[in-house]
Amino acid sequence: MGVGSSHGNGLFFRTLTEKQAEEIHLASCQVLEDTGMVIHHEEAVELLRQAGAHVENGNRVYFPSFLVKQALQSAPSRVTLYNRKGEAALHLEGANVYFGTGSDTLNYLDPFTLERRSWRQEDVANAIRLCDKLPNIDFVMSMGLLSDVDPRMINREQYAIMVQNTEKPQVVIAEDGDTLLDIIEMAACAVGGKERLRQKPLFMIYTEPTSPLQHPKESIEKLLIAAENGVPANFACGGVAGASVPTTIAGALVQANAEALSGLIIHQLKAPGAPFIYGYGNSPLDMRTMQAVYGTPEAVLFQGGAVDLAHYYQLPSWGYAGCSNSKVCDEQAIAESTMFTMMGALQGCNIMHDVFYMEFGITGSLELLVISNEVIGRTRRLLKGINTDKESLGVESIMRVGPGGNFLGDDHTAKHFRDNWFPDLSDFNNYENWTANGSKTMIERARDQIKQVLETHQPKPVTEEVKAQIGEILRKAKEKVGEKA
Amino acid sequence: MSDFTSLAELVINGNYNGAKDLTQKMIDNGNDPLEIINQGLMAGMNVVGVRFKAGDMYVPEVMMSAKAMSTGIELLKPLIADKDMPTAGKVVIGTVKGDLHDIGKKLVVMMMESAGFEIIDLGVDIDPAAFVKAVKEHSPQAIGLSALLTTTMLSMKDTIEALKEEGLRDSVKVVIGGAPISQSFADEIGADGYAADAASATELCRRIIA
Ligand code: B12
Repeated sequence: MGVGSSHGNGLFFRTLTEKQAEEIHLASCQVLEDTGMVIHHEEAVELLRQAGAHVENGNRVYFPSFLVKQALQSAPSRVTLYNRKGEAALHLEGANVYFGTGSDTLNYLDPFTLERRSWRQEDVANAIRLCDKLPNIDFVMSMGLLSDVDPRMINREQYAIMVQNTEKPQVVIAEDGDTLLDIIEMAACAVGGKERLRQKPLFMIYTEPTSPLQHPKESIEKLLIAAENGVPANFACGGVAGASVPTTIAGALVQANAEALSGLIIHQLKAPGAPFIYGYGNSPLDMRTMQAVYGTPEAVLFQGGAVDLAHYYQLPSWGYAGCSNSKVCDEQAIAESTMFTMMGALQGCNIMHDVFYMEFGITGSLELLVISNEVIGRTRRLLKGINTDKESLGVESIMRVGPGGNFLGDDHTAKHFRDNWFPDLSDFNNYENWTANGSKTMIERARDQIKQVLETHQPKPVTEEVKAQIGEILRKAKEKVGEKA
Repeated sequence: MSDFTSLAELVINGNYNGAKDLTQKMIDNGNDPLEIINQGLMAGMNVVGVRFKAGDMYVPEVMMSAKAMSTGIELLKPLIADKDMPTAGKVVIGTVKGDLHDIGKKLVVMMMESAGFEIIDLGVDIDPAAFVKAVKEHSPQAIGLSALLTTTMLSMKDTIEALKEEGLRDSVKVVIGGAPISQSFADEIGADGYAADAASATELCRRIIA
C-alpha cells in the first residue's frame, strides 16, 4: 500500500523546506560561534573548554560548529518514556504525537464553584486523577502550584502527588539539582530501583536557558544530573518574541535553536548518548497588553519550524498544544487551543505539553482539559488518514448494495463502522433529544464528565511500601530545606 | 512649524537621529536647554503617552520615541545644572533573589524612563542586602521589586524587613509587581503599592512619590 506521509498513510504538514531548515541551522551555528552564550556553571564551561570551545571572561563560551555536529552524532534519534508499570508508553520518534498537561499554574478554575482560586494539594490530586482517566492525555505535568505546602517543597510534593495518582509518564519541573535528585529517588521507588528507572525512564525533566543566550547555574545542574542518571531532558528556550528572542519567526527560531543546541552539546559531552528531547517554545509579547501570549499564528508556525528542525537533526521533538490566553473556558479558549493541538499533531511534534493552560499559563481549566481530550481524539483520527486497502475500498459491498440499496444492513458497515471516531462530549442529538437531556452546552457536559470521573475513578495506587518510602523522602527533604533556611 | 514643534514631532515618530540633529541645531541657535526639554522633547513624549494609552501606539514605537528623547537629553545634560534637570523621581528596581525573570521588569524600566524617571536597574537575583545597599548608595524615592515565582515572592517581604532593620523603610516607598503578585499580597507584606503592568507602574510611582 502506498504511504502518503510521515504519519504512515495519514495527514502530515511541513512548515520549512529542507533548504530553509539548513539556513536556520547555519544561522544558529553562526550565533553559537560568534556571539556565544554566558554559562553560569563551572563544570559545564570546563567540559566545553576541553572539547574545544573558546572561553572568555570565565563564562562567555563560543561554540565552534564541529561541536554541534559531534553532539548530533551521539544523541539518540528516539527516546521512550515508560509508565509506572514499566511498559513503553511514549515512543518519541518519527512523527508520533503525544499530549499532556502543563505545570505550575497559579490559579485553579474550580469547575464546581466556578471560582478562580489557588490550588491545594487535593485539587492537584484530583486533576491528575482526571488525567489518569482521559484516554488522550498521554502524560502529566504538575498542573498547579501548591498554595498549602512550604514553597520550597512545592516541586517535590507535586511529584509525590503525580506519581501516586496516575500510572502515566510525567514531565517534571524542578527548582534545582537537589529537588531533581529527590524526584529521581521517588520515581525509583515507584518503579523498583534506580537501575530500572534508568533503563525505563518514567519521567523527563524540562530545563531551560534564560533567553537571550544565558544558562543559569540551576538549569545546567539539572541538565548534568539528568545526563548522568539517564533521565531524558530537554533544554527548551521559553522565548518571548520581541523581548527575549527576535520578533520575526525565523529570528526566534535561530536563537532558540542555538540555545537548544548549546544545551545538547553540554549534555552529550557529559554523557554521550544520553536521551535528549529537542524543542523550545515561543510566546510572543503582545505589544499592546505586554503579555507573553500563547498559540498565536506566529507561535504555531514557530513550532512547525522547530519540529522540522528536529526532523532535520533526527531528534525527538518537544512542543505545545491545547493552551489559551482566555480567562475562562470560552469560545476563544477552544479556538486557540484547538488550532494549536491540531497543527501540532499535523506537524508531527512528538511530545506536546500545556493542554489545559488558560491565561498564558497563569490559570488552568479542567473543562479545557476534558474538551481538549475530545479534540485530540478527533485529531488522532485525522492523522490516521484514509486506508485504501481492498477491504476499505469496499467494491464488493457497493456491488452487494447496488443502486437504490442501503448500507445500513450490509456486513461491511457492521464490520467497519466502529473504525470511525465516536464523540465523548460532542452532542449529535436532534434538537428534541438535546433539550430532553437538559439543553446542556459543551462546557456543562464537560463539567458533568469531570464530576463523574472524580466520583468514580480510582487510579491504581502505589504499594503501601512505596507510599512510605515517598513519605520518607519528603520528610528528609523538609529537614533539608528547613536547615538551609 | 517652530523648531519646538518639529522636535516634538521627531520624538513622536521615534526618529532619534533627527531628534539628535535638531537638538544640536537648537543648542547652537542659543535656545534655552530647559525649554528644549520641556517644550520639545517632553512635549513629544507626553503625546506618545496619550497615544499609547489610547492604543494608537504600541510598545516598540514608544521605545523608539523614548530613545529619541534620551538622545536629545544626553546633549542637553552638560548644559543644565543637576538640580535643574527635570526628573519625575529616582527609583531603584530589581528582580528579587532566586528569580531570573526580567522581561516584565525591563519593560517597567523602559516605560518609567520614558516618563522621565531616573532608574537604577540592579538586574536579577537581587537579595535584600543588595537592595539595602542600593538604597543607601542612591537615596531613591522608591524601590521596585519584581517577582514571577511564588517561591521568590517571599523575598519581597524579607527585603522590606531588611529596610526596616536598617532604619530606611520610612525614607523610601516600596512598590512591587509580577504575575503572581496582587494588591492583597502587597498589603500583607506592607508594600506601598502594587501595579499590574508597566503603564500602571509608572502612574503608581508618580502618585506615591508626589
Ligand atoms: C518568559 C518566561 C520565562 C523565561 C524568562 C526569560 C526572561 N529573561 O525573563 C524562562 C524560560 C527563563 C522562564 C524560567 C522559569 N519559569 Co517562567 N515564565 C515565563 C512566562 C511565559 C512569561 C513571563 C513574561 O515575561 N511575561 C511578559 C512580561 C512583560 O509580563 P510580566 O513579567 O508579568 O511583567 C508585567 C507585570 O507583571 C508588571 N511587573 C513586573 N515586574 C514589576 C515590578 C514592579 C515594581 C511593578 C510595579 C510591576 C511589575 O509589569 C510588567 C509589564 O507590564 C510566564 C508565564 C506568564 N504568562 O506570566 C512563566 C512563569 C512566570 N514561569 C514559571 C516557572 C515555574 C518558571 C521556572 C521555575 C520553570 C523551570 N522550568 O524551571 C523557571 C524559573 C527560572 C528562575 N529561577 O527564575 C511559572 C511561575 C509560577 C510561579 N508563580 O511560581 C510561570 C507563571 C509559568 C507557569 N505557569 O509555569 N520563564
